[in-house]
Amino acid sequence: MSSEPLLRVENLKTQFFTDAGTVRAVDGISFEVHEGEIVGLVGESGAGKSVASMSLLRLVESPGEIVGGEITYRGETLFGLEEGPDGELRERDDMLSNEEMRTRIRGNEIAVIFQDPMETLNPVFTVGGQLREFIELNRDLSGKEARKEAIEMLREVGIPDPEERYEEYPHQFSGGMRQRVLIAMALACEPNLIIADEPTTALDVTVEGQIIDLVDELQEKYDTSFVWVTHDMGVVAEICDRVNVMYLGEIIEQAPVDELFHDTKHPYTEALLNSMPRPDRTVGELEPIEGVMPEAISPPSGCRFHPRCPDAREVCQRVHPENKEVARADGYPHNAACVKHDVFDVGYDESVPLDKEPQMTASTPSAGDDGE
Amino acid sequence: MAVGESQVGSGSEPAEKEVEARTGWRNTLKKIKRDTTARWGLYVIGFVLAVTAFTLVDSNLSRFTFGAISDFALAEALPVLEHPERLPAPGEAETNQPPMFHADGSLSNPLGTDPNGRDYFTRIVYGAQVSVSVGIAATFLGLVGGTAVGAIAGYYGGWIDDMLMRAIETVYAIPPLILIIVFTVFVSGGSPDVRFAIIGVGIAFIPVFARIIRSEVLSVREMDYIEAARAAGVKDRNIILRHIIPNSFAPVLVYATLQIGVTILIVAGLSFLGFGAQPPTPDWGEMLNTSHGYMHSNVWLSIWPGLAIMITIMGFNLFGDGLQDALDPRIND
Amino acid sequence: MGLLRYTTYRFIQAIPVLIGISILTFILANLTPGDPVRLMTQGQEVTPEQIERIEAQYGLDRPLHERYLDYMAGLVQGDMGHSFHRNRPVTDLIASRIGPTLLLVLSAYAFALVTSIPLGIIAAKRRNDPFDHVSRIVALFGVSTPSFWIGIMLILIFAVQLGWLPSAGLVYPWWSPETYGHSGYFEHLIETMRYLLLPMIALGTLQMATLMRVERTQMIESLQGEYVKLARAYGVPERTILRKHAFQVAQLPIITIVGLNLSTALGGAVLIEFVFNINGLGRLFYEAIIQLDYQLIMGITMIIATMFVIGVIITDIAYAYIDPRVTYGESE
Repeated sequence: MSSEPLLRVENLKTQFFTDAGTVRAVDGISFEVHEGEIVGLVGESGAGKSVASMSLLRLVESPGEIVGGEITYRGETLFGLEEGPDGELRERDDMLSNEEMRTRIRGNEIAVIFQDPMETLNPVFTVGGQLREFIELNRDLSGKEARKEAIEMLREVGIPDPEERYEEYPHQFSGGMRQRVLIAMALACEPNLIIADEPTTALDVTVEGQIIDLVDELQEKYDTSFVWVTHDMGVVAEICDRVNVMYLGEIIEQAPVDELFHDTKHPYTEALLNSMPRPDRTVGELEPIEGVMPEAISPPSGCRFHPRCPDAREVCQRVHPENKEVARADGYPHNAACVKHDVFDVGYDESVPLDKEPQMTASTPSAGDDGE
Repeated sequence: MAVGESQVGSGSEPAEKEVEARTGWRNTLKKIKRDTTARWGLYVIGFVLAVTAFTLVDSNLSRFTFGAISDFALAEALPVLEHPERLPAPGEAETNQPPMFHADGSLSNPLGTDPNGRDYFTRIVYGAQVSVSVGIAATFLGLVGGTAVGAIAGYYGGWIDDMLMRAIETVYAIPPLILIIVFTVFVSGGSPDVRFAIIGVGIAFIPVFARIIRSEVLSVREMDYIEAARAAGVKDRNIILRHIIPNSFAPVLVYATLQIGVTILIVAGLSFLGFGAQPPTPDWGEMLNTSHGYMHSNVWLSIWPGLAIMITIMGFNLFGDGLQDALDPRIND
Repeated sequence: MGLLRYTTYRFIQAIPVLIGISILTFILANLTPGDPVRLMTQGQEVTPEQIERIEAQYGLDRPLHERYLDYMAGLVQGDMGHSFHRNRPVTDLIASRIGPTLLLVLSAYAFALVTSIPLGIIAAKRRNDPFDHVSRIVALFGVSTPSFWIGIMLILIFAVQLGWLPSAGLVYPWWSPETYGHSGYFEHLIETMRYLLLPMIALGTLQMATLMRVERTQMIESLQGEYVKLARAYGVPERTILRKHAFQVAQLPIITIVGLNLSTALGGAVLIEFVFNINGLGRLFYEAIIQLDYQLIMGITMIIATMFVIGVIITDIAYAYIDPRVTYGESE
């Protein structure tokens, strides 16, 4: 493990200014990605994972805006604020300009694999043309070289007859094949970091497996780092080195993958793991997480998970837990944001357990029968 | 168990669907109220309708009203009194007065008079009656005809669908203005009239409404509750009337609103060419036809009717746009 | 090969529609109370013998279906019948008048496309900016104002008040400059433009406004597409995204609208030719209607509908050519 991480995110905040109010989609998250690592960003849909990953490239769409924190990539400031002379926050001088972000970072340093391969490729251009355009743009190759490279890359990601497929249009490709094209696109630009935004969610399970194997293999070959955004703990277990679990815009637990699975510290992570289908358990044993995630526009007081938490006590309504180190594993800290742990010292053990409020819930009619 | 479920399904789902439709309408109304575009459209439409209502009341109950406007209406603007022989030849219009802000204008004829000496303001006000009623009536006719054709084609499918769609394509291929003129002139035996124009416009608009309704019906037809109703032995006619049409109506309504604007536009063109409302009936298109010969002597005669047409159509377009925004989840969400 | 087959297929598909149009116009023409001869001779003193003679001359004494088949047989050979009033073949009359109408309609389209597409794109890009609001208001005026009134207003301003441009007629570029006493092709071209400008704008405004609205909505939608997000994430410059990635997808519906709007444009040509005294098909149609020249009316209706059908086919083929997703031969 090198001392300086490839990517460091500190206290990142991204908000959406809507008519109904401010949505704090990403609310102060911090994490690091080191060379050659696959780091997971896990959570239910709406947790802010995708917004967080788009924030890394400064590609948050209006009315969204990054409002705070710092993003450093290889010593360069992708985003950073400082206090100006008038007390207002302003962008730091060393922060890259939009033009620099576009020409130097997007594509050639940090590439993205998007969620929906069916919609992501432009329907009116050939697959090869799109691939070539991005390679030309990000690697300063001539059209001819870029074409050769594109075909080579298509072969690399396992597309048969790449010369012919190069001339075809996206609608002539299956979902899995399109996702391979998107992976080829990301790798062909030779970035150091790839953000994979739920790249397998739209695919069926067998194809998902193939894609994950492919990425695993290519990651080893090219030694590219990944930020892997997903809601699927199974995928996390398979591919990630370290994991960040997000809930309502916050990271509530982060640890190396084995540590997270074997010594889970946060009730939410535990719930996620319990809701995951596994071969050793029947469907009846699955425990869906109770309730639905609240809107980020008005998060619950105290710990944001407390209305759904099986371990919630009175104190959880009041105290908002910081993400603190509760253990260490493999030289990395194991952080969790739950007052259950001693380091918080807010009197969790003495606090009264919460009665479950009746809430609108789509699943598990009686999972919350806690009186035995 | 399966039987029980299907019975429950056939009983409760239409009800649910109706509740859904009703809250859908309520939400739409709420959105329209919030939408500035739609609100302004409503104001303009309301104003034009109020003017139309006034002219109807004024002409029918004129003995209860008093004042200059109704006198003018009775004496000069209504088709009851025909003075075509009083129309001076183009260029020698002595009787026509400029609007009131002009040096020679007077307050009693705010927009001046036409070459016949009739008060132009009164004629503009009365012109709303023909334009609006023809616009609404013709659109309604197209809507009813189109709904019938589209619902039958979509519901029955097969050769009925094929035949009807070919017929519709044929009607659609002739530009509406041309089709309406040909229809009006031939069917009236060479003496066109606004009543024939209404029917002509109605026929010309059947294709657009039929297509929308048909595609809606095709999607609604496959829904479970229609299957259930069919399985329960409800008659085709009742399925179409009670279930399919009400559930396909939202997009048609938007279209109809926008179409009223188009209808008024076409009818104005029709009257302008002399195939719609006939003089001396006050109609904006017809007034533009007359004023065409006086473009050099009195510019204003050509301006007012056009403005009236534009504002009216704009009202329907604004409202239609607002309605579309309110009903279209793509743009709205 | 695929495209050629598709083209043939679309033209074959149009045949029933064209037959339908001929039936429809024939029925309309014979729907009239009384008979065509009475219409034709309206206002003139005619003896029953004269009527009979005319009926025999035009074959009007035979049953309807026979007369239709005759008419059809003529149509196939390019014979659209005989104009009673002008005593000339309908085909000749149409051929001599179609040029100005095509010139007018095509130039109106050119005007509409050249203005609406850039304006629509800029409005989409600057959504909710003042520019967007202004262009939306302009478009609203455009779709709400009758084309013939725009024509009248343009004449009032530019011909009557300012005296800059002529208010009636056209200069036909396909006639030689000497016909007009122009000194050369340059002057000929300038004069053509001077005469064409006002009617072109009058007819084109509605098209411009409609296309601008569609372009704006389509571009807004296209700019929200995932492929735009992808292009941004790979550092493609905004200009390229706008001009290439988003634009190409947004054009597809525009092509369809252009074809379908030909219907309004052809109808509008009647009004504009009337306002500007242009001797095109539209004006011929107007005159034929006034004279109740029913063979001529049927002929013009048939030709205008055919022009519309061909226009739609051309845009369909253009669509199929641009959109790779269209599978030739199976699409509607």
